[in-house]
Amino acid sequence: MPRYAMVIDVEKCVGCMACVIACKKENKVAEGYFRTRVVEEVRGEFPNLRMELRSELCNHCEIAPCIDACPTRASHRAKDGTVQIDHKKCIGCKACILACPYDARYIRPDGTADKCTFCQHRLKEGKLPACVETCLGKSRIFGDLDDPESEVSKLLRTHDAAVRLEWAGTKPRIFYVNKRFPGGF
Amino acid sequence: MRWSRRDFLKVVAASGGIGVVGATQVDRLLGLGRKPEGKPVYVPTVCEMCFWRCGVMAKVVDGKVVKLDGHPAHPQSRGKLCARGHGGIGLLYDPDRLKHPLIRVGQRGEGKFKKASWDEALNYVAEKMLKIKETYGPESVALFTHGTISTYFVHLLWAYGSPNLGMPSYALCRGARDIAFKLTFGAPVGNPERVDLKNSKVIVLMGFHIGENAHNSMCQEFAEAVGKGATVIVVDPRFSTAASKAKYWLPIKPATDLALLLAWINVIITEGLYDREYVAKYTEGFEKLAEAVKEYTPQWAEKETDIPASLIIETARIMGKNKPSVLIHPGRHTAWYGDNTQRVRAIAILTALLGAYGRPGGIYLPPKNPLPYYGFGDFCGIPYPENQKPEIHKGPYPFTREEGVIPEIIKTTLTEKPYPIKGWLITGTNLIKSTPNQRDTIEAIKKLDLVVAVDMMPFDHVLYADVVLPECTYLERYDDIFVVKERSIGVALRQSVVNPMYDTKPGWWIAKELGVRLGLKEYFPYNDFEDFLKAKCEALGLNFEELKQKGYIEIPGTANPYINEASEFKFKTPSGKIELYSKQLEEAGFPPIPTYTRHEQPPKGYFRLIYGRVPVHTFSRTTNNPSLWELMKENAAWVNAKVAKQLRLKNGDYVVLVNQDGVKSNKVKLKVTERIRPDCVYVPHGFGSFSPMLKRAYLNGADDQQLITRYAVDPISGSVGMRVNFVKIEKA
Amino acid sequence: MVEITITGTNSITFPHFEVWDWRIVLYLFLGGLAAGTLVMCSIANLRPTKTVEELAKCVRAPLIAFVMLAVGALFIILEIKAPWHLYWGYLTFQPLSLMSWGTWGVPLVLFFNALYILAVLPEEQKHYLRFEFLKRFSDRLKPKMRLIAKINFVAGIFLAIYTGILLASFLAVPLWNNATLPILFLVSALSAGAALIVIIAKDVEIKYLFTKIDVWLIVIELLLIPLYFYGLYVSSAPYKRALEPFFSFKGEYFIYTLALILIFLFLPLALRMKIGEITEFEEHGLPHQFTRGQILRMNIAAILVIAGTLILRGAIVYAGQLIKLSIY
Repeated sequence: MPRYAMVIDVEKCVGCMACVIACKKENKVAEGYFRTRVVEEVRGEFPNLRMELRSELCNHCEIAPCIDACPTRASHRAKDGTVQIDHKKCIGCKACILACPYDARYIRPDGTADKCTFCQHRLKEGKLPACVETCLGKSRIFGDLDDPESEVSKLLRTHDAAVRLEWAGTKPRIFYVNKRFPGGF
Repeated sequence: MRWSRRDFLKVVAASGGIGVVGATQVDRLLGLGRKPEGKPVYVPTVCEMCFWRCGVMAKVVDGKVVKLDGHPAHPQSRGKLCARGHGGIGLLYDPDRLKHPLIRVGQRGEGKFKKASWDEALNYVAEKMLKIKETYGPESVALFTHGTISTYFVHLLWAYGSPNLGMPSYALCRGARDIAFKLTFGAPVGNPERVDLKNSKVIVLMGFHIGENAHNSMCQEFAEAVGKGATVIVVDPRFSTAASKAKYWLPIKPATDLALLLAWINVIITEGLYDREYVAKYTEGFEKLAEAVKEYTPQWAEKETDIPASLIIETARIMGKNKPSVLIHPGRHTAWYGDNTQRVRAIAILTALLGAYGRPGGIYLPPKNPLPYYGFGDFCGIPYPENQKPEIHKGPYPFTREEGVIPEIIKTTLTEKPYPIKGWLITGTNLIKSTPNQRDTIEAIKKLDLVVAVDMMPFDHVLYADVVLPECTYLERYDDIFVVKERSIGVALRQSVVNPMYDTKPGWWIAKELGVRLGLKEYFPYNDFEDFLKAKCEALGLNFEELKQKGYIEIPGTANPYINEASEFKFKTPSGKIELYSKQLEEAGFPPIPTYTRHEQPPKGYFRLIYGRVPVHTFSRTTNNPSLWELMKENAAWVNAKVAKQLRLKNGDYVVLVNQDGVKSNKVKLKVTERIRPDCVYVPHGFGSFSPMLKRAYLNGADDQQLITRYAVDPISGSVGMRVNFVKIEKA
Repeated sequence: MVEITITGTNSITFPHFEVWDWRIVLYLFLGGLAAGTLVMCSIANLRPTKTVEELAKCVRAPLIAFVMLAVGALFIILEIKAPWHLYWGYLTFQPLSLMSWGTWGVPLVLFFNALYILAVLPEEQKHYLRFEFLKRFSDRLKPKMRLIAKINFVAGIFLAIYTGILLASFLAVPLWNNATLPILFLVSALSAGAALIVIIAKDVEIKYLFTKIDVWLIVIELLLIPLYFYGLYVSSAPYKRALEPFFSFKGEYFIYTLALILIFLFLPLALRMKIGEITEFEEHGLPHQFTRGQILRMNIAAILVIAGTLILRGAIVYAGQLIKLSIY
């Protein structure tokens, strides 16, 4: 089975926000909710500035606090290694939302928790996740960590990749590569 | 594991096929009945969320558009869409859309209308237009138009007998640039711009914010170049998204860009960094240029621009070292100050000195176009009537184009000289939000006998219309075939993905029906638009059915990106060479080589108002779009952090901007940031709609255009400089 | 200075968590109070040298605990957003999920609590039981009262810790995510339970006993709160930042500082009153019957303790959600 992961090459993000809305349309996310976002982080003082743009989404952590927090196994690890939600089992207790340090989740209008699925339905059809497909800068790169020839594997071999809140110990599967300012954020 | 676009297509083909097309199939889809979820149908079409016009694959399920994706073959989308492209669904299903023809019942500007039938509305317009023609002559009707709908309405206007049309895309946007490039290289730089970004080693952006300005393929190539390690130099008073990718951010003092460009030219020449062979072979007037820029030293420019001379020299050397793969982006919205043409001329000259025109990484050459021009004039085969009176839409400017100078039409309407303008047709142009000095516009409207707005949404200007004709959206209609001039020539077709909702009609239908009522039936010899499209395809040598199925067809063998050094190459200028020294300008009484003139700087307590775009909105057109509104509901005025501290203002405070003429903006949130110079305030354009019919956008944020009461006209091209307004900040 | 701008945020997590509200506060409060009450009344009932008849001294407490816990459980059902899926909770047990512990634990506690009610029910009140089989059941439970009290003691401890550890299990909430919190919640629950018994007990001796017990519990609680804050303060940045709401005298955070001030007013005041009572009775010996003034004073002290418990839970539930583990 694959081990899906995403590498985000922050240097190539042009902040177009296409991913944010493509995700919403692809997954019919209700108004007011988002499964992915773009963070713009500026450091320094005029005129010595540095800015990083990075997209964020569910990290599909290998050690997923949301799965632990779930009382019904609605949040679970799918066979492809991604973290998924079985909506018919979700009681909407919101424990997973408080467990996730990446703010990946929200409660959708039917009362169940929701988040990025890595576009599982598209993966099954052999397509890329919608956000990756439409990423203008090709900043989002998706692939299988078990395939040494995949672009993600190659990038992770050759670059210092960072993950968000590494010290939280969740082992995220979303990696950030910043070629201009190596070493992450 | 990795998928290419081809895999995507295969999958699509396997799951039902791309090519389901047109209204009939859509009807069938609608007749499917209530099944859990129908099979998706993919229809190729062309986007109109902005004017880049990407190819789109629309996914339709049970007669509803559920997703829009980039057309994989179209060179401007390459399988991707920007946020606005994806948000097209929001336009289609916006509940605030214009749904029926309307006839005004209140005062102009009140926005009080009664519902009317198409017959009533069209008859009303035709009657008034015929009366104006009789009383004042046909020239007294002017057309303001933008987008694809122009095709039909310009035809209608010309058939009616008026030459007076204004497109915001010229004087209010990229006009000066096109004139400057035409003067220098003999050809405008095109739309999409012929910028070879993906091969550039150095990219210079002057006030041009790729990323925030989310032109699809241009963003793609910019990111690709950044990824490949191109050196980006951004000249902008604001630390734009593009600046965050730059090695050099030069926070220039606004209005001094020409000083920097001249200093760069100075360094390139005095240090011998220019491409000698190229300059000798393809350019004219180098000696005169070298002489003319002698005075513009980096030390001099430092005083003007606030950019250290050492940095000017360093960046010039980087350009010189990487020539010819240097792209100095000519920009799009170049309507800044009164010397727009000269400023872009300096960009063109610098490009030429670096040998970057017609070379990899610079500006590539236009593709060879084997397709004949085929417009409505050709289709109907009847010449337009001769104008009885002189055209007024181009103003007194020697180098303009047919698209016209909008403020000239407004001025003529106000002064009634040389003759009165009594009717305005406004199609797809929010005049209130695009034209400087709203007060003039509104005064001019008072002089009119007829104001007609053809639009999809009740934008600001619609409030002033006597008759409102609702156009259907780009997803519900056919349009004229697009000849795409990217690296190769291609043709793209916009076709209806779903049937028009409500009582809305396509632009071609509205123009025709109006034409018929104006006694111009013979100019519109079509019943269905397919008649015209089929005739056009025949003229272009294309198969209409194939075009419908594919959406985009590239014409092979048309790419011709770089100068073939072995053969003779002639530029389309009078001299056949790149005119560093422009005789045409000289003859028209303008400096043949750009000269620097100092522009006024803001007085104490005031800031220069600069404006720009955000990636999720297109001007004022999308601020009410539910899908895009959700991403950005209002704009914020950017103020330097230190300035804000002095003014005791906090991030997120609401303020009012007051310009030099005392015009007050709507209240606007403050963005306190290090990302801007202390002497200017930046406002993203297009917000703060005055139209209460736009329920989401109404009074959300500030309208920068409202504050642009002053403008400086470029005497060469008529380009309208709008960055000449100063504002102060007051607590809301 | 770091400027952060985010496009595409959900209001439930940005700019701070808005996940749980007063319903959870009431759940944790009522659950804790019920837990403390169960523990305290079990202590009362397990005291040596009691005959079966004498046990009736602490008979209302289990009933009150039961009602409080049931109402508390109602509040959490009001807080969860898809309760019609709740049966899935009973088709599995997830040991790492505190919600799962609660799903199983609360009904179990309620069950033993119900047995407790029946076991301590005095003969003269048996007519309240509508059904004959319940009366018979009650009679059969009576001899096993001590065992049931022991079970309820454990159940109470479990419940009290559970209300704290539920919060402590959340990685993303630094204020909650530590081991002191469950202990603090345990102690405050016990202390509130003792206070409640003081209010409801009629027996002079019981009132006095729990006044003494509560003194110790308040002292521990007053030690634990600073320790809890200290532990957070010396930890890494997000944990330190999590304390900000409690030490801010302006803006939207002031209410949390105020809550802390109130806790440190109420508890010592209660402590002072209780110590006053103890010294008074130690000197003069327990009266046969307290005067109305004495009862009022005792009840006020007890209410201060219970109010402190409620404020503590409310402040921690709300303030915790203000500061996230990540910086935005």
